[in-house]
Amino acid sequence: MRWSPKLKRRAVWIMTTVLVLALGAFLFAASGLYSVAASRGHFAITALLLEFAMRRSVATHSLLVTEPDLRDPDLIRLGAGHFHGGCAPCHGAPGEPRNSIARGMLPEPPDLAASVPTWSTSELFWIVKNGLKYTGMPAWPAQKRDDEVWAVIAFIRQLPGMGEAAYRTLALGNAEPVQRDARELVQIGSRADAISTCARCHDDEDAAPTSRFTPALAEQSARFLAEALRAYANGSRPSGIMQPIAARLRADDIDAVAAYYAGFPRRPGQPAPPELMDQVARGRTIATSGVPRGGIPPCLACHSAAAAAAFPRLAGQPAGYVGQQLRLFRDGVRTGTAQADIMAVIAKRLDDAQIADVALYFAHLAPDTPSAAQHDATTGEASR
Amino acid sequence: MSAHAWTRLAAAAACALAVGGCEGVQSALAPQGPEAERVALLFWALTIGSAAILAGVVALATIALVGHAPARRRLDNETIIIAGGIVFPVITLTAVLAWSEIVMGANATRGDDNVVRIGVVGERWWWRVIYRDAEGRRIESANELRIPVGRAVEIELTSADVIHSFWVPKLAGKLDMIPGRRNILRLKADTPGVMRGQCAEYCGGPHALMSFHVVAMAEPEFARWLAREAAGAETPGDPVTQQGHLLFMTSGCGGCHAVRGTTAVGTIGPDLTHVGGRMSLAAATLPNDEAAFARWIRDGQHIKPENLMPPFGIFNESELAALSRYMTSLK
Repeated sequence: MRWSPKLKRRAVWIMTTVLVLALGAFLFAASGLYSVAASRGHFAITALLLEFAMRRSVATHSLLVTEPDLRDPDLIRLGAGHFHGGCAPCHGAPGEPRNSIARGMLPEPPDLAASVPTWSTSELFWIVKNGLKYTGMPAWPAQKRDDEVWAVIAFIRQLPGMGEAAYRTLALGNAEPVQRDARELVQIGSRADAISTCARCHDDEDAAPTSRFTPALAEQSARFLAEALRAYANGSRPSGIMQPIAARLRADDIDAVAAYYAGFPRRPGQPAPPELMDQVARGRTIATSGVPRGGIPPCLACHSAAAAAAFPRLAGQPAGYVGQQLRLFRDGVRTGTAQADIMAVIAKRLDDAQIADVALYFAHLAPDTPSAAQHDATTGEASR
Repeated sequence: MSAHAWTRLAAAAACALAVGGCEGVQSALAPQGPEAERVALLFWALTIGSAAILAGVVALATIALVGHAPARRRLDNETIIIAGGIVFPVITLTAVLAWSEIVMGANATRGDDNVVRIGVVGERWWWRVIYRDAEGRRIESANELRIPVGRAVEIELTSADVIHSFWVPKLAGKLDMIPGRRNILRLKADTPGVMRGQCAEYCGGPHALMSFHVVAMAEPEFARWLAREAAGAETPGDPVTQQGHLLFMTSGCGGCHAVRGTTAVGTIGPDLTHVGGRMSLAAATLPNDEAAFARWIRDGQHIKPENLMPPFGIFNESELAALSRYMTSLK
């Protein structure tokens, strides 16, 4: 193809213009005249454009997200527990206005009661899991733990219209409200309900965990609890909820917390209602005798009070938590610790029904009977 | 001969010796019982016979191609073709077929009433071995077969999962272990000694590491051994072994393994009541000593990839040493 002189002139003109504009843009950036100040904000047109691009990006990327049922009050309570430590510091909460430091960000972290209704549930999930570039919204610390992200979504869906009292009940759980005198305020500060307050979600001497997705910690061995906290802290046990909390604890804090929980008895689980007796009985068979043909050893060989301190005791542990952890083991999410490497092998041999049965059995097992149950296991096997 | 050639000769000799060494424990060419002797007889007869026929054919073909004219003329007639090409093969092959049927069909131990019956179950990837004492009580062991010399042994072969094949070349031909079927293999050892067996049907990942030892022992010695095998484990004596015992009982080992006489009654993995008295670990994969136990408990997946035992990384060095000491003490 031969270019006509007119076409040639036009091409040279276009190329020159592009080069001059690029050079101009570079010189403008190099001069430092552009202000990156958060205090100045964007031009209205820029803000509109950015908002538009963000909304479109989130909408497109969340197309393939499938929503689970989020109405479960236990899921909402679990999400509330994380929200109070992980989200409220920037986004505020009912009765707790956004703090002025966070409000100085650009863009300002939105008040979620107002902004949540403008997004679909799957869009919210995508945002909380992945975070948002250029906004300061961080990604979820444990990218494999979609189950945790959904708990947060279940909670923030409830935020619009939530009153302060309802919020504090959900978020503070078993933790006592702040009652500090002047000296304590001066020495410790006002936030008794700080991020690492275990009792906001977990059990204490007087109360059970606030959600059936939260484990009971009482009567676990100090070794197991300390190892779990260290594994959370270094990320080898993935959890976006527990990792930030455990990472803030100093080595001696970890030992103190572990010793505290090891030192008082677990509250007994509720007796199983009659309609669940069949399921509990099936779970009992797996827990006490295993499924030898399926290569499944009896759970209580490791998870009774008589077993080594390296293992957790499961009697009285909420069913939602046990089932969820078994699924995480099975699906290869929970790996990386010595205990998880053992359990992952066994969990892969369990099907969904067996997981549900065995979780239910442990939820209704009184904590003082594991050794008796193990005794059943041994005699049951011997007379086989 | 150059130095290089000498080196090559020495290397070849070393290889031959090494192969000869293998022949000792796992070779059909070194039979140690009547069943395997018949296999060897058939092998040698067919090999030597077919070699002789091949030599004859090559000789005739050579004459036909480059021989003197009179010799070539003598080959040039139809009778030779019919006799050598049709009659000879028909007679030879029929005879060989009939003879091999007679040899393989005959069972030296058939009709022998005084048989020892042992059950062997193929598992991924180990062997469950079940003896019965005089009263018919079940005595479970694993990955090692002990048999009395000179007695007919009837091995009941079954499988717990996939198809395996039981093969002890020095004692008998191979026989498959098929899920849902019961196959009976009869064999006999003529002399005492240690032999090696191997799973001979691909059964998944570590199939190649599914081996075992067979120990043929004099009858009274076997009876003593079986009585000891039937007994439970002894209570550990020294403090380290006691610590190992406690670790075994509290760390979940008993969920899969049995140590008779203790609270460990698992049936998923091998019975460990007398594991310390066996010749090997992990189905003839490792030697049987404390170091091997420690490696197996913590790094079993590196030694035998895909095996079904979870890795136990929860023990510190001293715990692992104590546990290994306890395991080897289970004689």
